[in-house]
Amino acid sequence: MMLSLYILIWPVISAAVLFVIVRAFFKDMAEAKREERDII
Amino acid sequence: MLDPVFYQFSTSTTLILLVGFYGLTFLFSTLASKKSDSVDGYMVANGAVGFGIAAASMTATWIWAASFYGAASSGYQYGLSGSLHYGFWGALMILFIYPYGQRFRELAPRARTLAEIMQARHGTSSQLILAISNLVGSIISLMVNFTAAGALVSVLTPLSFETGVMIAGVGVLSYTLWSGFRASILTDFAQVVAMMLVAIVLIPWIYFNMGGSEALSQGFNIITAEQADFFSTKAMLEQGAPFFVAVLAYGIGNQTIAQRLFAVRQDLIKSSFITATLGYGSIVIGLGMLGMMALFMGMTPYEGDLNNLIPQVASAYLPPVAIGMLFILVIGSLSSTADSDLSALSAIVMTDIYAKNLAKGKIDNKKMLLLGRITMIIATALGLILASFSLDILVMLVFVGALWGTLVFPVIASCYWDRVTNRAFLSAVLGGLILFCLVRFEWIALVGAWASSLEFIAAVGGGTVIGLMFFGFTNRNVALIAGSIVGVLCAYYFHDFLRDYTVLLGSLVAYGASTIICTAVSLASNERFDFALIHERIQHFDD
Repeated sequence: MMLSLYILIWPVISAAVLFVIVRAFFKDMAEAKREERDII
Repeated sequence: MLDPVFYQFSTSTTLILLVGFYGLTFLFSTLASKKSDSVDGYMVANGAVGFGIAAASMTATWIWAASFYGAASSGYQYGLSGSLHYGFWGALMILFIYPYGQRFRELAPRARTLAEIMQARHGTSSQLILAISNLVGSIISLMVNFTAAGALVSVLTPLSFETGVMIAGVGVLSYTLWSGFRASILTDFAQVVAMMLVAIVLIPWIYFNMGGSEALSQGFNIITAEQADFFSTKAMLEQGAPFFVAVLAYGIGNQTIAQRLFAVRQDLIKSSFITATLGYGSIVIGLGMLGMMALFMGMTPYEGDLNNLIPQVASAYLPPVAIGMLFILVIGSLSSTADSDLSALSAIVMTDIYAKNLAKGKIDNKKMLLLGRITMIIATALGLILASFSLDILVMLVFVGALWGTLVFPVIASCYWDRVTNRAFLSAVLGGLILFCLVRFEWIALVGAWASSLEFIAAVGGGTVIGLMFFGFTNRNVALIAGSIVGVLCAYYFHDFLRDYTVLLGSLVAYGASTIICTAVSLASNERFDFALIHERIQHFDD
């Protein structure tokens, strides 16, 4: 059980980080569009 | 145990995957192709990058092909703690540099390279030492990434090693050349999303195809006691400790990191780098688990080469579609690092070589931009040549690593302590490097008083590493106490012991010697530096 958790926890953390990054990207993109500038 | 035969893609499938990957990346990069006449934009995207792209870019850049192979090899060799000892310390390299990044930005909000700050602080010689170490590091990184592309292509497809190297080189250059750093970080976002999605899907997929908990638990019967020990001393000393020592050196020595520190909006440095730490750690440790799972399943690396582990595990336990995903994961990781290296190299040549030295005050932005693009072409060609001839660069790699180690204390101290002089900086780096070479290449036998003296210097190095880690997050007094305690403990434990571990001894001596020399020479001088001058001396090129 602990071994499974040890192996499978990493994709779960990756998924959480991916969610944060993608959400921030779209937020930045919307903000840039609103302010009529490029995202970078 | 399954037969370790690699799955083979057909030539057409391989070309579809590679052309599709680089084609889509190129299309994505065109979103960043505006404002191509801005040199500050070309180098650091005008220091206004948002959180999402900054975090994604730092994660993607820090993950290179060697991250997967290295973590899996470590998991296979050292068992339970193996991939942690690779990925955890690698992740900390991102975490521990951000407090210093905040200081760099505070001193020089308009900087493009760390060497540029050293020029404003000390002058050209200190700047060039740092810039050249950055240049060599990025060329080596390019070569390693192109080599990884060639190796992967030659293992999983009918195409040759050289073809794989060439496709990767041309592909990366094609989308980075025009827009530079802006294209690099924008494509990093797409690449990291793809990498994370693949990692999230593939790790559980392989786990369940291997038979899950029940099958893997039986692996405890075939691994050694050391491999079954989560707190393995062997894993710590052979894998963890050298990485731990390198935590700050890699942060200081890599222009790819510095460039992102200067590119992200100043108030977002902390959140971006913490997110990148978690992103890097979870992907690399997770994929390192494949090596550990291979060990538990009793697999043997094909032809004894640990770099074969990941393709071997994929071939044994995944269907062709998933192997294709893994192929893209590795190509994505090496491409994102290679494009960052190209951007880093162009920024150093544009800023540190041309603008700060060759231009002699008459900076021509168009010429600078052209120089940046030419640098990328030459660097790619050099990377391709070095990779194609499979040159042995171990000595150069060791040497650059040591140089970065000697730079850590002088660079950081120069940004906080007004007494550090150019002479202190240079003598610390040179002194540290000479002692490192004497130790690492054992030019003098490590016996008697000589070895004891080196172990003492290494103890100072250990104290320096811990002290600087504390200093970033706390204050000088706490750092001094923590560093002193660790230094004393190291002196006790290293005596008559560390001489048997020359890699670790050499690294710590580089830190310790440069710290001692830099401090002593600085204290001998009465000069004081006004840090406000750095802000004044570093201006936007676009103004």
